[in-house]
Amino acid sequence: MELTPDTTIILTVFGFGINATIVFTWVVMAMLTLASMLITRKLRPDVPPDRWRTTLEAIVLTIQGQIDEISARPDRRLLYFAGTLFLFIVTSNLLMVVPGWHSPTASLSTTAALALAVLVAVPLFGIGQRGLKVYLHNYLEPNIIMLPFNIIGEASRGISLAIRLYGNVMSGAVIAAILLGVAPFFFPVVMDMLGLLTGVIQAYIFAILATVYISSATAPAEPETEPAKDAP
Amino acid sequence: MSIDWITVAAQIVNFLVLVWLLKRFLYRPILDGIDAREREIAERMAQAGAIRAKAEAAEAEFRAQITKLKAGREGVIAQAREVAARARDEMLAQASARVAREQAARAEERAKEVRKYSADLHAKGAAAFLALLRKALHDLGDESLEQRIVTRAIGRMPDMMRDLTDAAGSSDTAVIVTHDPLSQDLAAELTAALQAAKPGLKVVFQADPAQSPGLSLRLGGAQLGWTVDSYIDGLKKMLGRQEHAHAQ
Repeated sequence: MELTPDTTIILTVFGFGINATIVFTWVVMAMLTLASMLITRKLRPDVPPDRWRTTLEAIVLTIQGQIDEISARPDRRLLYFAGTLFLFIVTSNLLMVVPGWHSPTASLSTTAALALAVLVAVPLFGIGQRGLKVYLHNYLEPNIIMLPFNIIGEASRGISLAIRLYGNVMSGAVIAAILLGVAPFFFPVVMDMLGLLTGVIQAYIFAILATVYISSATAPAEPETEPAKDAP
Repeated sequence: MSIDWITVAAQIVNFLVLVWLLKRFLYRPILDGIDAREREIAERMAQAGAIRAKAEAAEAEFRAQITKLKAGREGVIAQAREVAARARDEMLAQASARVAREQAARAEERAKEVRKYSADLHAKGAAAFLALLRKALHDLGDESLEQRIVTRAIGRMPDMMRDLTDAAGSSDTAVIVTHDPLSQDLAAELTAALQAAKPGLKVVFQADPAQSPGLSLRLGGAQLGWTVDSYIDGLKKMLGRQEHAHAQ
């Protein structure tokens, strides 16, 4: 039983083996891009929105609403990043019900790549929003002794993101595969349904956590509050 | 559980490409479309607000005009009523004056007709009276009226001539005026009677159609008359009384 699609080589190009993780990632990318292109190709202000466009608008506005609730400084670039994370993960997870589908998010390489992307995005958004000096000064808060702990905390965020997503998706697929062997008629369906729910929740959690991390890096410094006076 | 770092790198690239693709084909068109639609909605709302404000202003203006017209209508109606009353009074006065004039004209015309009728009646009555008198004298006495008058005058001449001569003074011409020329017999008879009463008296006879039947004797400033005037007047008075009684 293959635990990760990284080991499944689908095709070879110029001597490089293209594994199932990359191929199915491309499939997800193609589906999302084609669907977006088809729905938004006739998008004009004077044309009334159809149901597909309305659905897309609802999805995008829901993501935008979640980001606006979390972030003190709503930014379209954050929508592009976190929204893409959510759409990619949720699409990959939901397509697990398709027979033969190898979800890219069941690969630790994919989740690690997404976590690394978040790890890189956090300082980039922070520096872009607040400047390099102010951002780096955050690592010295509340004092310089906390520098290594802050760095470890920053790295652990990415690791926890990667492991959480990978563990949930991979375990769901593994459990469904095991139950398929034990009780092939009923439990796999239930587990797949549970896997769909878990997949959506994990996509939501991953995107929300990425948004929280980036928002915390881009949040303006809180004004210093005066110490409370002792009661007489 | 292992990580294939080449796959990690490829997935990072894939993810970044997907971010760009979705930005290009999903987020930007959708958000730009939403923004455009919101701008259009905002513009339409602003236009609707402006139109509403304009409509409200027009409504207020119309209401003010209606109120003004209502207030002015009472004044106009009162003024029209006053003008109508004035015109009515004037027309009534004109009509009354016209009716009065017409009534006066009709009354005058009626009075004129009455007078004309009365005069005509009196004249015809007098003529009939004279004609009956002449016929009665002729039928019953075989005399004419003039002959009877002359005979009567000659009979009374001696008594009246003294007073007439005193009143006439030195005049020696007596003028006899009759309605119709007298016959030669009557003229001679009358001349003889006068000259018997006053010798040397010259007698001149004249006919005057305006003279009532009979004769008048003028001697100097004195005058004597034997005519039917008083009888005609009496007849006229009698007819007048009858007319008055009939009119009442």
